[in-house]
Amino acid sequence: MSPAATPDMLRLRGDSVSEELQSLITDAHRATIGVKSEPVTVTIREEDARRMRDVIGDKDARYADGTGIAPPYVIAAFGGRPNRMAPFVLPNGLLTQQEWKFTRPFRMGEKLQAVSQVFDIRERLGGRYGHSVLLTTSTDYYDGDGNHVAAALTTITQFDPKRAQEKSE
Amino acid sequence: MSQRYFEDVKIDDELDPIEKLPTADLATDFFGRDNPTNPAFADAEAGKRLGVGGALVPGMLKIAWMTQYVSDWAGPAASLQGIRVAYRRPDVADRPLTLSGRVVDKREEAGKHIVELEVATLAGGEPSVRGNVQVELPKRS
Repeated sequence: MSPAATPDMLRLRGDSVSEELQSLITDAHRATIGVKSEPVTVTIREEDARRMRDVIGDKDARYADGTGIAPPYVIAAFGGRPNRMAPFVLPNGLLTQQEWKFTRPFRMGEKLQAVSQVFDIRERLGGRYGHSVLLTTSTDYYDGDGNHVAAALTTITQFDPKRAQEKSE
Repeated sequence: MSQRYFEDVKIDDELDPIEKLPTADLATDFFGRDNPTNPAFADAEAGKRLGVGGALVPGMLKIAWMTQYVSDWAGPAASLQGIRVAYRRPDVADRPLTLSGRVVDKREEAGKHIVELEVATLAGGEPSVRGNVQVELPKRS
């Protein structure tokens, strides 16, 4: 059985907890959830598809030169761009979850309309990154006829490396 | 690459593991040398400042490998429907990754014959990425 807590201990614990539980997410951050961006035009570029295919060593004949079809992972060419609407609450971020969905294959050279939104924002206490913020954004890609082609969902865990280090010490 | 058919796939079927060696050069080339990316992909010191032990392996390189891994298993008439992954631990360049996978479900969904697989990357025997992939397979009949 653990010893009973003294009032001082409780106060110390209380202070520490309230400091930790102070939310980093503001109403302004929450207000970004579900707000769709203006469509941004992205192009399935042959050079991206070919480079990625060759780097990962993909020999699938469907994506060979001249087929006009790009491999699904060419969607990664759009994933590295910052989402302007996404709030950056903490200075660093690591990709921690990702989902890709494909309604049909990508065609080389086609232009798609990308519509993004903040899907969710929440925070987490403890763990590897200390007090962190998990920001999930989604992007849907539509062709020129308005048909859905693909979707991407990405969660970035934002953290302060100083705090994360302090927590691990 | 041989074709796999819906009828022939059984739950708990395992994919042959394969090994990949991610390097900082590979990471840079994947996104293109002229395209801005996270400096930690190419710079071990930047990776260390992030709390990683060296140059960080991009998650998108790993998910691309997982996509390719399942596509190769499924065959040329199959169609990848989706992939969802959780990056559980950062991977560091120059440490080999083993891709492994297993069938966890097969079902008919809106007229499509879907097989679902669990796929993971293992670094030093421990999973660093875990994911599920849905792929549509053709039927023999």
